[in-house]
Amino acid sequence: MSELDRLRHAMRETERPDTVLDLAAVMREGRRLRTRRRVAGAGAATLATGLAAVVVVVAVGAPGPGDPVPAEQPPPVAVAPPSVGVSPWAGQSLEPTPLPTMARDEPPPKPMGQIVDTGVRHGTDRRVYYFVPVSVPGEPKVTIGLAAGRQAPDGALTTDFLVNDVMGSDRRAGFHQIGYDEGTGAAAPVPTFGYFVGPANRIIGTVDGRQVDARVARWSADKQVVIFWFDPARLTPGERLDGIIARDGDGRLL
Amino acid sequence: MARGDAEFVEFARAASARLVHAAYLMTGDHHQAEDAAQTALVRTYASWSRIQDDDAYGYARRTLVNHLIDGWRRPMREYPSADVPEQRRGDVADEVATRRWLITILGALNPRERAIVVLRYYFDLPEAQVARELAVSVGTVKSTSSRALEKLRGVTHRTADEEARR
Repeated sequence: MSELDRLRHAMRETERPDTVLDLAAVMREGRRLRTRRRVAGAGAATLATGLAAVVVVVAVGAPGPGDPVPAEQPPPVAVAPPSVGVSPWAGQSLEPTPLPTMARDEPPPKPMGQIVDTGVRHGTDRRVYYFVPVSVPGEPKVTIGLAAGRQAPDGALTTDFLVNDVMGSDRRAGFHQIGYDEGTGAAAPVPTFGYFVGPANRIIGTVDGRQVDARVARWSADKQVVIFWFDPARLTPGERLDGIIARDGDGRLL
Repeated sequence: MARGDAEFVEFARAASARLVHAAYLMTGDHHQAEDAAQTALVRTYASWSRIQDDDAYGYARRTLVNHLIDGWRRPMREYPSADVPEQRRGDVADEVATRRWLITILGALNPRERAIVVLRYYFDLPEAQVARELAVSVGTVKSTSSRALEKLRGVTHRTADEEARR
């Protein structure tokens, strides 16, 4: 028997057919999750300052308590399904919510500036990033959020989720939030992405001691804003970075 | 119970063992495996009306694997001799030995290799589908798979050598 045959055999042989899970608990939690999705889908894009829970709630990729912290910690940022208005319910959700179905009934936010085509394809759709307007009560310097979406051949946009600051200035120099795919089995996983404000020519992430160069594109509406994303073939969507740096055209660390 | 719920229960009962075992193969930890499978089923149930007529098992499997990928950098922690299930088949000693061998060799793989090995050789998915589910290229699946098998051979030979020396 070859090693591969032995491996296959061992994987099957050690299965426990009598495994029993608590299906009542599964269904109870599933109902709660379904309710949260409806609530989130009904409107929760602009998030109030200090709603730390919201970051976790609708966050598709905001680091959780047990997640590795990126070497350069970004400022507090909200990650939300795209829609309009402030949800009075947003703070009631307590765990990450998958997004693929959340925003389908919402009108897509209107992109600001040019849409960035990543070259990544999901069937006939193209993975794109674009800024959309957001408003955060009491934070007049937060006006934009970066959305990850898909563009169909007819130009129609489906927004998967967006990240935006919840305090300070969305044009503060440096990194802002990094968006990670939550990994819920969506048909179109979102490559890790974010934006940097400053004269960056290269964005380099580190994961497991390996350096991965991000692809970068300057935002058409503000050339100081550099949108970046990691090729999913080089950095698996959802895999947390251990660190990230930016370098200018002369290779200087920013 | 609503018809959809009854169908979900039937589905979950049929799928649980494989989901839990796949999670165990990826983590080496029974408790973490059960938690992961439970999480995958919660999310599957939450989306049941949309997926029940499609590929519900595929959805649950993708959800499970992607959920575990979040913990990819965690090491394998459990050793099988500490937790042997009630035996209904085969020889206990054989199964313990098999389980120990399995965990030893899977523990030698990095998390990405483990995920690919489980999808390829436990779920028997074709390379293209593994690539889609992990959002990597087919080339990455091939090269990672090949590297993983190379490691398995290495571990197997080392284990055999050690046993021969005893």
